[in-house]
Amino acid sequence: MKTLTIVAGVMLVFVFVWERVDVVRVGYHIERLKGQKVLLERERDQLQVKFSALSAPERIAKVATEKFGLIPPMQGQVLMVHEPGEVPSAPLLPAEQVRVAKHISSGRAGE
Amino acid sequence: MTSGPSRGRRYVMLLLLLCGFGIILFRLVTLQVLQAAELTARADRQHQKTVSFEGARGTVSDRHGKVLAMNVEVPSVFGIPASLESPSVIARTLSPVLNVRSTELERKLRQDKSFVWLARKVEPEQGRQLGQLSLDGIGVVMEGRRFYPKGPLLAHVLGFSGMDGQGLEGLERRYDSHLLGEKRVTVLQRDALGRTVFPKGLTEQVPAPGHSLMLTVDEVIQYIAEKELEEAVTHSRAKSGTVIVMEPQSGAILALAISPRFDPNVVAALTPDRWRNRALTDTYEPGSTMKMVVAAAALEEKVMTPDSLVFGENGRMVIANTTIHDHEKQGWMTFSEVIQKSSNIGTAKAGMALGEQRLYRYLQAFGFGQRTEVDLPGEVNGLLKAPKDWGRRSLASISMGQEVGVTPLQMVSAVATLANGGVMMKPYVVSEIRDEKGRLVKEVLPQVKRRVVSPDTARMMTTMLEGVVTNGTGTKGAIPGFRVAGKTGTAQKIDPRTGAYSSTQFVGSFVGFVPAEAPRLAMIVILDEPQGEAWGGTVAAPVFRRVGEQVLNYLGVSREDTVKIALAMKD
Repeated sequence: MKTLTIVAGVMLVFVFVWERVDVVRVGYHIERLKGQKVLLERERDQLQVKFSALSAPERIAKVATEKFGLIPPMQGQVLMVHEPGEVPSAPLLPAEQVRVAKHISSGRAGE
Repeated sequence: MTSGPSRGRRYVMLLLLLCGFGIILFRLVTLQVLQAAELTARADRQHQKTVSFEGARGTVSDRHGKVLAMNVEVPSVFGIPASLESPSVIARTLSPVLNVRSTELERKLRQDKSFVWLARKVEPEQGRQLGQLSLDGIGVVMEGRRFYPKGPLLAHVLGFSGMDGQGLEGLERRYDSHLLGEKRVTVLQRDALGRTVFPKGLTEQVPAPGHSLMLTVDEVIQYIAEKELEEAVTHSRAKSGTVIVMEPQSGAILALAISPRFDPNVVAALTPDRWRNRALTDTYEPGSTMKMVVAAAALEEKVMTPDSLVFGENGRMVIANTTIHDHEKQGWMTFSEVIQKSSNIGTAKAGMALGEQRLYRYLQAFGFGQRTEVDLPGEVNGLLKAPKDWGRRSLASISMGQEVGVTPLQMVSAVATLANGGVMMKPYVVSEIRDEKGRLVKEVLPQVKRRVVSPDTARMMTTMLEGVVTNGTGTKGAIPGFRVAGKTGTAQKIDPRTGAYSSTQFVGSFVGFVPAEAPRLAMIVILDEPQGEAWGGTVAAPVFRRVGEQVLNYLGVSREDTVKIALAMKD
């Protein structure tokens, strides 16, 4: 019984030490992964900036005209084709999307 | 029994032990009690590192989510002068990498400081090259740098931020509190080699980035406006130019172009004159474009109808000992023709029929002399004197767009009011603010400011302004296949040397909306001091036409003849 208790005690000490060592090991691993994440996020942002710059209308127009020899359509060369029943323009907003400013008086001028 | 000398040795041993323990006890008390605080702090300094984190500045994107401004982490290079053996050698090594003169670098490295910045926010490639050099006493930290990937596009609206990430101009300044990332201080544990183990408690959160702004501006419409404006400014050799495109039903600004442009990525060498948003910081005398406001007021107050006959005094009329001229001699004409031909005399008569108080009330109602409250910094009120300060000629002068200073944004808001059936909307640029997880923080809905004129008056004005484009001074603003309503303006500038109106310096402008029957766009085009022909109808109206045609195509708005073609095909 006494021997068993000693062995169990030693085992507990080993488990405790192992747990502490493993916490430190996992901690280092987390830090490495965090570093990788930061690098990847940085690369993603740099690519996003590059993508935005490359997709700028000014650049696309330049490539289209200078590299591919395209020209903007002349007056009357663009005709919109709409599905039957489709209203081509939608100028008015739904009433629930419009609100009256609280601090500005309403009412017709001159009244 | 122990002998005397043996007992003596024991006492000596005991004494030595007591002294030894006493010394240890004294040292223990000194370390653990007397110097406890100081030593604890020293230990903390060695195995803890306090780091200040700042979340990235929020992004700015157009109404379709195209990124217009965002932060990227880039290297900043610093030096520790005390730990350098040969500053001159280090400076010569760094110079080609940082593109900074070696003498300048050496001067910094010889400073009596513990830390000096050598180059902040450099290109990532430069940081990589520095890492390969691995110079002692030279370090690199990552800092957020603001990038404007579209270059000069929308620069006057976006503005820019400073070296430390604070908004300095434009939206960057106006929405700085939203865009700024969260600031947080974190304590990191370091091991004997100085490596970070992990933050105290794995629950440490990375500081949140700033909120993101979504604009009402469309980058394609903005590009079209900027391209056409640049061409017009270059062609007419004007000092500057402005184009604003607005959605009349909501007040949303779709494009705001200023020429000359600037690149917000490189502002260090520029003066404020270059990045000022002239559309809301500068006023100009609008000239004849103001006649549409006077005409709307006259129709609303029923002192005129479109068919009322007005005598043009054969091109000359004396008011308060001064003579008002018309461009062409006119006899009797309808009020519609007064606006079509942009008659100064006819409009002055309409203004006089209204009287000072009523005209002033309508000018105010159309938003002149007060800020539009657009969500951009630096907006001015413009200049609109109260009637008590008007002279004997003021009523006629103001009716012709003189003695009054307006901003381009005020004028486009006024024409958008007519396009919107007489209801004035508040102009705005930011439509949504979202947090880092995409959750909506603030949604900006269109806001009605007030009804200015009745729908009937707005309809009559639309017909009259269509006449300007079909038969009047604004024929070059006509867009084939669309009904355009607009008004030209050519205003003489005041010569600062003489204080009188200049005969060589003009502001040519055109305001209008299209399609007239169901407006999608309200627009103003202004060219400041064009050389040669300076008439608004000659220099500004063609820009309106070119921008309007391309934008309507882009928006997929059908031409009138599309319907006719479709009907013909059906038959």
